[in-house]
Amino acid sequence: MTNHSLLKLAWQQTLAANRLPIWRALLLALTVAISIATLLAVLGDRLEQSLGRQTAELLGADMTLRSGRPIDPAIAERARSLGLETSGVIQFPTMIEAGDNLLLISLRVVEAPYPLRGKIVTQPTLPHLPEPGTLWAEPSVLERLNLKVGDQIELGYTTFTVAAQLTSTPDRGNGFSTFSPQVIINRQDLTATKLLGVGSRARYRQLFAGEPQALKQLEARIRASMASDERLITLDNSNNNINSSALNNASRYLRLGALLTLLISALTIALSLRRYTLNSRDRAAVLLSLGMTARQLQILFLLQLLLAWVACALVGTGIALLLEQFALVLLSDLLPQPVPLAQPVFYGLGALLGLVSLITLGLPPMVAMSQVSVMYLFRRTAAPTTLGGRVLQLVAGVLLTGLLMLYLEDLQLTLILIGALLITAWVLGKFGAWLLRISAFALAGKHTLVRLLRLRIQQQQRWHRMQIPVISLLLALMAISLWARSDLMERWQNQLPDDAPNHFLINIQPHERDGVDQVLDNYQLNSSLYPMIRGRISALNGEPVATAFTPEQRQHNALNRELNLSWTSEMPGHNRLVAGRWSPQADGDTAYISVEQAFANTLGLKLGDTLSFTVGSFPVDGVITSVRAVQWESFQPNFYVIFTPGALDNMPMSYITSFHAEGEQRKVAAALLQRFPTITLIDIDQLLAQARSLIGKLSDTSGMVMLLTLLAGLILVFTTLSQELDQRRYENALLHTLGATPQQCRQLDLLEFALLGLVCGGLAAALGEIALWFIHQRLVLIEPVLHPSNWVLLPLTATALFTLTGLLARRRVDESNSYRLLRTLS
Amino acid sequence: MNGPVSEIILSAQDVAKRFDTQAGTLELFSNISLQIQRGETVAITGPSGAGKSTLLSLLAGLDLATEGSITIAGQATHQLDEKARAELRSRHISFVFQTFHLLPELNALENVILPLEIRGTTDAPDKARSWLQQVGLGERLDHHPAELSGGEQQRVAIARAFATEPDLLFADEPTGNLDEHTGEAIIEQLFQLNRDQNTTLVLITHDNHLAARCDRRLHLHNGELKERRTAGALHD
Repeated sequence: MTNHSLLKLAWQQTLAANRLPIWRALLLALTVAISIATLLAVLGDRLEQSLGRQTAELLGADMTLRSGRPIDPAIAERARSLGLETSGVIQFPTMIEAGDNLLLISLRVVEAPYPLRGKIVTQPTLPHLPEPGTLWAEPSVLERLNLKVGDQIELGYTTFTVAAQLTSTPDRGNGFSTFSPQVIINRQDLTATKLLGVGSRARYRQLFAGEPQALKQLEARIRASMASDERLITLDNSNNNINSSALNNASRYLRLGALLTLLISALTIALSLRRYTLNSRDRAAVLLSLGMTARQLQILFLLQLLLAWVACALVGTGIALLLEQFALVLLSDLLPQPVPLAQPVFYGLGALLGLVSLITLGLPPMVAMSQVSVMYLFRRTAAPTTLGGRVLQLVAGVLLTGLLMLYLEDLQLTLILIGALLITAWVLGKFGAWLLRISAFALAGKHTLVRLLRLRIQQQQRWHRMQIPVISLLLALMAISLWARSDLMERWQNQLPDDAPNHFLINIQPHERDGVDQVLDNYQLNSSLYPMIRGRISALNGEPVATAFTPEQRQHNALNRELNLSWTSEMPGHNRLVAGRWSPQADGDTAYISVEQAFANTLGLKLGDTLSFTVGSFPVDGVITSVRAVQWESFQPNFYVIFTPGALDNMPMSYITSFHAEGEQRKVAAALLQRFPTITLIDIDQLLAQARSLIGKLSDTSGMVMLLTLLAGLILVFTTLSQELDQRRYENALLHTLGATPQQCRQLDLLEFALLGLVCGGLAAALGEIALWFIHQRLVLIEPVLHPSNWVLLPLTATALFTLTGLLARRRVDESNSYRLLRTLS
Repeated sequence: MNGPVSEIILSAQDVAKRFDTQAGTLELFSNISLQIQRGETVAITGPSGAGKSTLLSLLAGLDLATEGSITIAGQATHQLDEKARAELRSRHISFVFQTFHLLPELNALENVILPLEIRGTTDAPDKARSWLQQVGLGERLDHHPAELSGGEQQRVAIARAFATEPDLLFADEPTGNLDEHTGEAIIEQLFQLNRDQNTTLVLITHDNHLAARCDRRLHLHNGELKERRTAGALHD
């Protein structure tokens, strides 16, 4: 037989197979697998390129030094002497005002030359940097303040003209500020705005660019004298900001979803190929009887798989590219634009994965089928499973696992996940099948069909063991992702008392204190102003940090950055004393301090210990006399360490307060900014809205993957239901001839699906509660609660899914001629 | 029927077939010997479960006997490996089945072309067309099996079986799925072609009437194969 005629036969055979539901299930599963694998590969690479691997274009430089304090000018001098270009950037949150609208923005103050790498794109196109007296703002700033290019904005003590809209910009900074809309001004204008004072939350960056050799030299020099709150970002070391870690978590979650989809699809492909090859034994035997060799038969079916793959690869990759565009639109605010294209190889990765899976999973049943004898046409005997077949299946399993591990690029995690999933699936399958049996037993006597149902459950056991874990796990995952999102945002907010502060005021200078108090009083706002001084812990009981604390303790944030210290004679009302006694005043030269409970526990601080601090260049000591419990999420100014009055009096300081403003009181914000343009006002509602939008966008992206996973699960259920369809048809036909009505037969199916749905939904709800309890207790730190709606909605959803796929699977069953069916099927 | 030079195309000598079952060894038949000459029509009859299909599988070289030897066109099947037996079948044997077993996605012509193409025959389409004309389906070449009646499908299957010019044709209940009238016509055609092509026909059937039309009738019962006289033999 020529290759051409083999290919032609394969083509005709494929077209014919396309009419079979089981073959369609295979095509769908393969398409979904290819879509998700391509989507993840392409999107993952683009995200990684834009965030994971910092590029000079995104960083705006070859190397950046970040600090919470002004950076020593000597470093810039040194860089210039090495022939490097350098530029300083200051970034901080502030509220801006236009008419009645207030907006929390992140203000970036830059000086020429800037940026050192990449470029800022504006509309209209403007060269270099904002001219003094003008600013550039991102589109969301203009939209939300109802402004356009040419309008004026108040910023601190200065009025600026909006000169351009920022289309794309490198060096968006790090931390939460990257989610806030940004505004860029020229460094020359900063002093006039008077926005930068003691206590402002400014972050400083020094950018460097130039010859690699000189950069290396500078890097070594900086590292030698780097403070613990400074970070040096080079092109090789990955960044560590909220932005990328949120995206990294999202990407991990996506990978879990993708892994699940790929495993489910692989199972579907294996099962549908099994069914298809079993159904094709007649054809194989006929072809052998016509003179075809086993080898030609294998090539024929392999060609059929290849043809199917080509179609699925085209459609699957196409779908992936569409979804990718959609995801990029969703994430566009979070990603520095333009997002680099993925490397070409990633566009073909899904299709390649699909091909290898199809061949790996397809070979064992194909080989088994080609071993069928012509004799099968005379006497139907099942071909025995040979040892070779089993070995081939095992090899296929190992190969596929290896492939997934390579694809997901995290060998250990993939192995652990696959192991955990398999064990969970096994337990769920066993337990679920047991629940089914028990429920059917409990129902006995309630309905005439229950006896038959028990038989059916016995008979379908092995498929139930596969359907139950897949559907329970999928529903649980979806419920978890939906609840975790809403729980995190809404319940956290709901747990706050109604009068929890919704505004923070920071950067209040001592001379502004009374004025601020007065304005707050005018609006009947009740609030206390706390002094805030930044200091670093230097010793415990006279012993330096390096030896006084264990290496684990030294990892604590409080020992690695400047702390916000305060003083007051009265313990803040929202704190609670848990040990010692509150000291209202110092005892002569000895200052007393009160420390926060968790901080004291972690660092092993005890009552009577002396903790030493460095504030600026001054040393300050305090003896611990009390330990306080602090509710960090209360939105009140909270401090790890509070001194008795006196010890910190002459240090550089600012004041901080928070208050709850509602309705008319909200106008206080504008009033405060008008009178004290340099204080920083943070609207918590806006901050939460920005966080909610970030989480929303990430979870919408994950939702897309979850939908694909669910689709993969449904195809699997359909495939498993189709596996024993002949058995079901035979059984129903038999019942017909024994006097059952078609309705009764349908009822039996519906009863089975309803019971399956209840069991799966119940298991999913239970799994969901366990996972959410863990997330609440350990990750989000909110009081765990039950989700009663899950216990109703999930079983209903599962029942609906089973009924729907069941109806689809048995759509073609012609029950009108039971007798003929019985004859052909028996 | 017997010409001056009779050629034995198929012979079995002391053939036995036993299966290992959970209850022990089951002997289906033993000491079966027969010789079939080129051009003969032979019916194998017997009650269900007597082992007719198993005997057919041994005679067609699809399976090996537990004891004894079977020779097809001068080659002893037990001396050949699976591949060589497949080649032997491909050269000398065709099958006609009760349920036709046409490939549904191929039209009548393509179904007949298929075994020719598998054998690399150069003028496959012409040959196939001519065979379909011989069975009276010259006008329905491009019809798919679903568009043909049962009788027509079996005729395509017969054309397909004869197209490769086999020495031996095994037919398993060829009229089992057809009404009496159509079955009659099909059998008529099968016997006619068989005579024209000098093919040896081995039929498995329950139908006594059909068996009676064959040159010889072998009855398999209780593990024994006995020859019965037939009307066909009486005609000679």
